[in-house]
Amino acid sequence: MLLDVLDVTKTYRGGVRANDGISLGVDAGEVFGLLGPNGAGKTTLVHQVLGQLVPDSGTIEIEGSDVVADPALARQLCSFQPQAAAPVEGLSPRQAIDIVGRIRGGARDDVRREAVRLLDALDMTSIADRPVPLSGGLARLTGFCMAAVVPGRLVILDEPTNDVDPLRRRALWQLIRDLADGGAAVLLVTHNVLEAERCVDRLAIIGDGRLLATGTPAALKSGLGAPLRLECTLESPEPPDLPTWLTVVGMNGRRLIAHVQLSDVNETMAWATAAQDARVLAEFALTPASLEDVYAAWIKPEGVAA
Amino acid sequence: MRLRTAGFARSVGLLFRWNALRLRQVSLMLMMFQVVLGIGVIFGFAFLVPHITPAVALFFTTGAPALVLIMLGINIVPQEVAQARINGRYLYVSSLPVPRLAPMLAEVLYWVLIQLPGTVVTLLLAVLRFHIHLHISLLVIPAVTLVSLTTAALGYALAVTAPPPVTSQLASVLGIAVMLFSPINFPLSRLPQWLQDVHHVLPIAYMADLIRGTLTGHYDSARTTAFAVLGAWCVGALALSSRAVSRRG
Repeated sequence: MLLDVLDVTKTYRGGVRANDGISLGVDAGEVFGLLGPNGAGKTTLVHQVLGQLVPDSGTIEIEGSDVVADPALARQLCSFQPQAAAPVEGLSPRQAIDIVGRIRGGARDDVRREAVRLLDALDMTSIADRPVPLSGGLARLTGFCMAAVVPGRLVILDEPTNDVDPLRRRALWQLIRDLADGGAAVLLVTHNVLEAERCVDRLAIIGDGRLLATGTPAALKSGLGAPLRLECTLESPEPPDLPTWLTVVGMNGRRLIAHVQLSDVNETMAWATAAQDARVLAEFALTPASLEDVYAAWIKPEGVAA
Repeated sequence: MRLRTAGFARSVGLLFRWNALRLRQVSLMLMMFQVVLGIGVIFGFAFLVPHITPAVALFFTTGAPALVLIMLGINIVPQEVAQARINGRYLYVSSLPVPRLAPMLAEVLYWVLIQLPGTVVTLLLAVLRFHIHLHISLLVIPAVTLVSLTTAALGYALAVTAPPPVTSQLASVLGIAVMLFSPINFPLSRLPQWLQDVHHVLPIAYMADLIRGTLTGHYDSARTTAFAVLGAWCVGALALSSRAVSRRG
């Protein structure tokens, strides 16, 4: 693996255990999603990989080198988009990308050319020479370009799609894919589960500082034990009598979510249609289980492991 | 893409460019402030001290650039770092492959250049107003370098260690302490004996003396001693700063 995190534990002063025995690996050419609710310990893990925080115990290696002992090496090998908007007030996107690309060791012409390509792909050419807004999607996209212009062996992106409009978001996912196809390992921190499902090769779910599950989206979904989900809107807040083959996994007001086995599809459709006719259900949808179901199975709303 | 890690000078240059671009809309105004401050020193102090003897004029004139350089390090640089820590720029830059002291040097370089026109104007006005004779030695370059680096390295170490709101308060307090209790605009002999003794160890008196000496040729202490003491302080301050920026949570 290009990035090897082994049994990393980090406790902040005050006793908050942000990471608790986390192990994971990211390979070159791979987009690896790090999913979890706010406060799960994702950003703490990222700052340890970057050499800005020291783990209490455990090891972090990039291409076989111990980056806990050598934080300067971590800074060379990683390029990073922070969770907050890029701190580039007063600079234009092109200037910000140019400076960071050259600091990261890129030759002047290479950096310029790559900046043009990135700005063009993200439809930012027309605003490339105006000062970057202090927040919002354009600031975040500028931050992405700063991480991508001369990518590290490991590219760490912390919530790259926040605040980004849908079209540019699509282009951004493509550029993230390109980074991996170009040979980098991409560590993508996000809580946007639905989008991650389309982009990541593998992922880890962390909650309350612990690694809860890791694998490909397909493997994690098959681990759910139910390939389909039934989502119903009830006519009344009272839960109806449900057939025994449905496994209820969520109930929120009049919204009910249940997992369904493939063998029970026909019975489920028949029951739901009848229930709708009988005005028990206002509407329903039977869809393939998504990564969100996996996520919901592991993470309870307050962010505590299931 | 061809990859080579930016060297020390290149890193400082690129971070300096970042500063200059970031502040380009206010740079001219900041320079003007320094010029106005210089004019204030020459004409304003005349109200404070009605009988300006040539000795007093010499202290005012040469104390002004020394004070500006010292303030730059213990006031402006820490405030800038505190701001950078709040808005995330500090953490972001610390994730880039640059030598640890490069951001500090880029900061000092920018602010020294900002105050340069003000210093020149102050000195020119002093020559016209007080008929002071300047004998500017080339040693002014190492003197300015040592003064600004030492104070900025100390200010930087403070600002990356203390919480940002504490840094802002402390920077103001230090500024006032230096202005009132340090022999920059007046001779050391005017202070009580114990404070004189303190200033034989602290770098501030040597800083003022070196700036005055390299501009006029008149040194209070032995020039070599002043350079040696300040050189030692500078090495210590850079070591402290380097340690402070390398500290990890």
